Amino acid sequence: MMCDIERRKQVEGESTDSAIDVRGLRVTYADGTTAVDGIDMTVRKGEFFGYLGPNGAGKTTTIKVLATLLTPSDGEVRVNGFNVRTDSRNVRKSIGYMAQETVVDPELTVEENVRFACETYGVPRDERGRRISTLLSLVDLADVADKPADKLSGGMQKRLDAATALVHEPPVVFLDEPTTGLDPEGRDRLWDYFQRINDQGTTIVLTTQYLEEADKLCDRLVLVQDGSVIVKGSPNDLKGRGGDEILDVELTGDQSARRRAAEIARDLGPFNSNAIEETDNGISVTGNSVREHGTMLLVTLDEAGISVVGFDIRKPTLDDVFLAVTGEGLA
Amino acid sequence: MTDELSGNSFGGDVVVNTKRWGLKAIRNPFVLAVSLIQPLVFLVLFLTVFGNVAGTAVNDTIPGISYESFLLPAIIMQVALASAVSSGVGLVNDIETGMFEKILASPMRPSAMLLGKIIADFARIVVQIAIVVVIGLLLGTQIKTGTLGILGVVGVGVVFSGWYLAFSNALAVLTEDQESTTLVANLLQLPLLFLSSSFLPVNALPEWIRPVALVNPVTYGVDVARSIILGRNVVSDLPLANSPLEALLILFVFDFLFAVAGIFFLLTRTRSDVQ
Repeated sequence: MMCDIERRKQVEGESTDSAIDVRGLRVTYADGTTAVDGIDMTVRKGEFFGYLGPNGAGKTTTIKVLATLLTPSDGEVRVNGFNVRTDSRNVRKSIGYMAQETVVDPELTVEENVRFACETYGVPRDERGRRISTLLSLVDLADVADKPADKLSGGMQKRLDAATALVHEPPVVFLDEPTTGLDPEGRDRLWDYFQRINDQGTTIVLTTQYLEEADKLCDRLVLVQDGSVIVKGSPNDLKGRGGDEILDVELTGDQSARRRAAEIARDLGPFNSNAIEETDNGISVTGNSVREHGTMLLVTLDEAGISVVGFDIRKPTLDDVFLAVTGEGLA
Repeated sequence: MTDELSGNSFGGDVVVNTKRWGLKAIRNPFVLAVSLIQPLVFLVLFLTVFGNVAGTAVNDTIPGISYESFLLPAIIMQVALASAVSSGVGLVNDIETGMFEKILASPMRPSAMLLGKIIADFARIVVQIAIVVVIGLLLGTQIKTGTLGILGVVGVGVVFSGWYLAFSNALAVLTEDQESTTLVANLLQLPLLFLSSSFLPVNALPEWIRPVALVNPVTYGVDVARSIILGRNVVSDLPLANSPLEALLILFVFDFLFAVAGIFFLLTRTRSDVQ
């Protein structure tokens, strides 16, 4: 049976491939600050989509527009085919939203929190029991179902928050920096959880400052800075754009040793056209011949009395790509 | 999927919220107890300290009434005010923890969310007023209209609380800050009580206070409750009402006006602050 959303899209003559369509989105706050300045993007159904950027880039503002918590100043935004301006209630029926801060009702138990979410979204009464037990198992909270939410650890509260955002099995879920503040184990568990629901067909839009997270989870991503999209593509595409391999050389000594090492690298024939940078603990050389001629550099540094304590040849990460594009890292 | 995307009816949204806030009140009986403490302290202290002195002034205006019976309606209104403050604090908590925004991102209607919360608050106020009435009876208050009178007095307390519930929730939405909401709402409580017929009849109040007392909702609530306790019309010489029924209607008008203002502020808060 055709669902409401698909029927609506066909009536409106839209492609049913896109879960989110954003055209010329602009958001200017009442104090005159423009947080989002002309963003265009499309998120395809079933995609795990990353929306990245440094603090103040406009990520949360954009997510709030998509979740109908903010009205755009300009532009057209459709979620699941519904216009966020004119059809906001239908948008809200068809999305899950997990805010940046962990949001649970501290006075209710774990199960009561999920039950309240079921009731909020009108999950049919005879479905609720199954839905609650499935979700609590999925987020590994079944054993603490009767515990008050304020007695849970931060990671458990975050998982409970995630479960409450998904009780109605929405086709689109917005995750606004969902793993900020979690320990590595808690982060891994949430990643696994998000991956599983995405595998089941849920479209996920993720904002994050952790590029490792975006690299691991996202099919496609955009990088926003100062309210505008500056890079878009799949993580592999973007890393490919980073181009050549990177040789990281770790040195002992102070800044003068690093400066000398950089000068030596620049004077060496194979590296003189490469990007050479001083890092916190050594130098970094990016180029197409670092694997071939890296040993030569290490030997030359040693002969010059500069002590090398370690080295690594690696492919560019998203961090390198974004550093090159924005001139600064995300975190 | 159609069903899954249907959300609730307006009534369904209200019930879901009433249930949630009711559950929270049960889980946190501290809130229920705290808003009873000050009124009960007032009840005992006023009876002990002013009982003999004020009893004469009271009897001059309303012959045949004991100070216990005269005071109980005031304490009921005080409980209603104190309890209404904690309603606003509950909403601020929701705003501060993000629950408010989380619900706004769901299909739930903001007005149903507020109505459900107010209904749960009313239920809490009924329990609190009932406790005060029982204590009042134990301390010697006589309710001449019997069980119906007791129910009536509780009902008047609930109707009276409506405007202050709306006020404290509007404050919560405006300030989005627990301290500011508590401070302002608590600060107004005592002036509202003392600038009314709560502790002395309006005629026995200083002259400059009388005009204020005559437009103060507390006077309307207290006078209606007092009339029910005595079984006769003891409504002060109010400019807007001459009988308990008229005074009750005025209370409903206060409730309506403040509810409209509260909903206006809530809806303003739920809209964006973008240009």
